[in-house]
Amino acid sequence: MSQINPEDFTVTDFAVREHRSLWGDAWRRLISSNTARLGMFIVVLFIFSAAFSHYFWEYEPKKDLDYSLKLKAPNLVVTEEIPSIHPFGTDKLGRDIFRRVVHGGWNSLRVGIVAVGISLFFGGIIGLLTGFYESTTMTTVERIVLYGITGFLLGMLSAWIANQFLQLVVFTVIGILAGYFEGLWAGKYYRVIFFGVLGALLSFGLALFTGLSVALICGSLGLLAGLLLSVTLDGRFFSNVMMRVMDMILSFPGYLLAIAIVAFLGPGLSKGMIAIGVVGIPVYARLTRSAVLSVVHKEYILAAHSVGESHGRIIFRHITPNILSPIIVQTTMGLANAILSAAALGFLGLGAIPPEPEWGAMLGDSYRYLTSGAWWAVLFPGLAIMLSVLGFNLLGDGLRDALDPKLRL
Amino acid sequence: MTRYIIRRIISVIPTLIGVTFVIFMFQRLIPGDPAIAMLGEHATDESIERIREQFGLNRPPFLDREALAEGDLAGFFDSQYINYMARLSRLDLGDSIHRRIPVLETLKLRFPATVELSLLSMIIAIMVGIPVGIISASRRNSLIDSVAMVGSLVGVSMPIFWLGLMEIMLFAVILQWLPAGARLSTGFEIEGITHLYLVDSLITGNWAGFKDALSHLILPAIALATIPMGIIARMTRSSMLDVLQEDYIRTARAKGLGGRKVLFRHALKNAALPVVTIIGLQAGTLLAGAVLTETIFSWPGIGRWVYDAILGRDYPIVQGGTLLIALIFVGVNLIVDILYALLDPRIRYK
Repeated sequence: MSQINPEDFTVTDFAVREHRSLWGDAWRRLISSNTARLGMFIVVLFIFSAAFSHYFWEYEPKKDLDYSLKLKAPNLVVTEEIPSIHPFGTDKLGRDIFRRVVHGGWNSLRVGIVAVGISLFFGGIIGLLTGFYESTTMTTVERIVLYGITGFLLGMLSAWIANQFLQLVVFTVIGILAGYFEGLWAGKYYRVIFFGVLGALLSFGLALFTGLSVALICGSLGLLAGLLLSVTLDGRFFSNVMMRVMDMILSFPGYLLAIAIVAFLGPGLSKGMIAIGVVGIPVYARLTRSAVLSVVHKEYILAAHSVGESHGRIIFRHITPNILSPIIVQTTMGLANAILSAAALGFLGLGAIPPEPEWGAMLGDSYRYLTSGAWWAVLFPGLAIMLSVLGFNLLGDGLRDALDPKLRL
Repeated sequence: MTRYIIRRIISVIPTLIGVTFVIFMFQRLIPGDPAIAMLGEHATDESIERIREQFGLNRPPFLDREALAEGDLAGFFDSQYINYMARLSRLDLGDSIHRRIPVLETLKLRFPATVELSLLSMIIAIMVGIPVGIISASRRNSLIDSVAMVGSLVGVSMPIFWLGLMEIMLFAVILQWLPAGARLSTGFEIEGITHLYLVDSLITGNWAGFKDALSHLILPAIALATIPMGIIARMTRSSMLDVLQEDYIRTARAKGLGGRKVLFRHALKNAALPVVTIIGLQAGTLLAGAVLTETIFSWPGIGRWVYDAILGRDYPIVQGGTLLIALIFVGVNLIVDILYALLDPRIRYK
């Protein structure tokens, strides 16, 4: 025993370890949590049942009608009175609630995914651009684009008042000029005067063809536009404007804005998706912007700048991958919120159009029968909403712990 | 500090203008002619024209470029939006189209109902949410913690209209303990001073009225409280956990202070700030959630009123109600922001 063989030892070379990627690590943390596993189970169950029923279990809501089976309580065995099995009972038109709940999942998940997709796409782009340019100097081309767009937007009012398309062109050109000659008399008051007078004269002169009072109004608008274009517009300006717009959307309580948008577009599932998606844009814009701001001064971004990579490449290749985790978490939880909002819209009669199965609309359809004792028509669709939302929330919670152990909410 | 507050208040102005702009757009964008909504489908063309004239609906929405082209500068600014803003500055919200009564008057009656409901919900949410959060944080990763956190997540995931219906089924239909809707039972009357029935009945010593009003409030208030309750509990927990890792907590423990004293005196005080913020921000959620809760419980508040008005195309009500809700929302956000800056000197604002 005293003899020690070198073969008896297992040698660990600490420099060469099993390769573990960031995402692999996160995945391991995710599945080690009970609640996240539960959430994943619920989410997979709902996605699977919705997709399966949509493709393999045909259902035609418009033909589903059987008054002889109106508002029957759940039954699991066939009796003489009820010749078919209805595990969740039937609703006021004798439709099998189980079948409608399963099929309703397809609609609810679709609303959730499309709505979050809309919010994420627009909010993400706004957030990336505002966050990046707020702390980065723009290149000449980008500056010209910013000035040009600003000029274009400023020109819209004059162009409309004078009913002249040319006004729009003139303002855009002034914007582009101001952007191109940004260094011209920079910080001097005669730059302000020059552009103010230029805007005023051009706009006035053009509008004179329509009438004197029109020309006066357009001239003063041109003066204002010229003054604004003469000052230095940078990413901070752009970011401020965008964030104020986002604040404006945020200052309406979510449901109310969604209801108003649907009232404008008319009811229907696709309109509901758009409404919920638009309401969600500021959330993603703010989140993305703050995430961008937190990485934009990191060394690897500076390094990318200093080797001369283009701004677009820096945004998409260096910034985006590094801010994904909070966005993934928010997207998962956003799905939960979107499903909840869609159900609320459906309940208020502004979501899916009636025979179409949708959980919220099913609740809104049947809640009047609650007092006559038809609890099953309300219980099961509601449970479906709650469980699916809970599933996404649990998963989002788990993802947050897994992707960023520092964030605990 | 003063400069920050002034800047923050000024920054609200464009938001407010934008809000009035969007609210005005509702009327223009929602399909259907308000004049027809007022008179019904069978109205004659002349009467429609007269109503349009009377309410200024024949004017262009924002600016009148035709008038300007003819040299009429006053006509240029004589538009629906500018007139709407002028009326708004005189606190004139217009009359309801269907009922023909001033919107502001109904608003004064209905707003307290929503305030009472939201306040009670908020009190319930705070009274339950904060203790649950503290207990969870102090026993991190215990069974109680897991149960409380999954429970609060269930609360956050709750479709409140469904919860309200389930409450009605259980407590009003099956057990018949509590009423299913309205603010008061028939036969009860409460003298209106503040129009908050609980407060009014206490002031006038109307004990039976108080009990009746409370029994009507409990179910909707619980339904409305679930989501904020869950959010507050989770926020309290995470904020407490952050603070409990700090050095001064270890110092306090090392000095030999009792667990409870450390928890409440040292930790809770410092963990309160984010919790206060989130409570403030929930005010908006409550007001929005009121639309659903009020619909289910036939609660005569502004949420349901605005919803009915949207369906009935009663534009002045939609505009007035939304404006009020949005104003409160903006105001609360402003107050929260200012409080945050006041309470936390670490936050340096430029």
